[in-house]
Amino acid sequence: MTTVIGREMSQIRRLVLDVLKPHEPTNVEVASAIGDLQDVDGVNLSLYEVDQQTENVKITVEGTNVNYDLVLQTIENLGGVVHSVDEIIAGKKIVEEDETLHDRG
Amino acid sequence: MSFNIEEGRYLILGSIDGLLATLGIILGVSVVSASNLIVVSAGFGGAIALALTNGMGSYLAESTIEHGKLVKTERSLLRKLNNTYVESQSKKRIAKDALTHGGASFLASLVPLAPWILGVGSAFVSVVLSLITLVALGMYSGYISRQNYIMSVAKMVGLGTLIIIIVELLRIVHLV
Repeated sequence: MTTVIGREMSQIRRLVLDVLKPHEPTNVEVASAIGDLQDVDGVNLSLYEVDQQTENVKITVEGTNVNYDLVLQTIENLGGVVHSVDEIIAGKKIVEEDETLHDRG
Repeated sequence: MSFNIEEGRYLILGSIDGLLATLGIILGVSVVSASNLIVVSAGFGGAIALALTNGMGSYLAESTIEHGKLVKTERSLLRKLNNTYVESQSKKRIAKDALTHGGASFLASLVPLAPWILGVGSAFVSVVLSLITLVALGMYSGYISRQNYIMSVAKMVGLGTLIIIIVELLRIVHLV
């Protein structure tokens, strides 16, 4: 287990990444490669923008103890670039984002 | 082994090259010598040279194109793709195309050469075998292009017949 600031990092349960990738390998191959990683229970890959050479995808990875470094390494090996980590859920249970007054307004 | 459209292109290109160029050599050499050994030596030399030039030509051309594509993608991604799956797939494509082009050229060269290798020693048999192979190539071409099979076969056999006629005319001129 990775340590951060002298503490053990808690288990990552969900990871939402904004990724820029080439057309090849296909989205099926990318999703399948991430889905095959250890401790990954499921992957959702959604395409939201297609350019001439690249495409933007949102990758959601869920598992009991998702290894972020391994996910990152897999995406980079497949030619992708992680633009941002849009959502991360870690700890003993999955906590969904709560709506605030600001969101309601 | 499955072939996609890219490899299909090299399969057709290589086969036509190997088949018709070697047939041309056989028809030309058989005018001056009826010896099996001389025809086989000339045809085999041509087959090897064609296979190597086709294979290396494809390797060089595909390397240029694939490298260009890779650089274009790298610019869009703002990163290098060295040692990635993308680069390894690109290298595999180059090797596969070069092997398909060179390999198809060599194998097709053996078709008109077969009667001479087997000791039949007949230019007519070489022509017939080549035309039969062109029919098969035409059908394959029709299959991958999703076009009319008859048209595709007619184009392929027509091209072969035209080349045979030109070579035969040169043979007659030579004999005169």
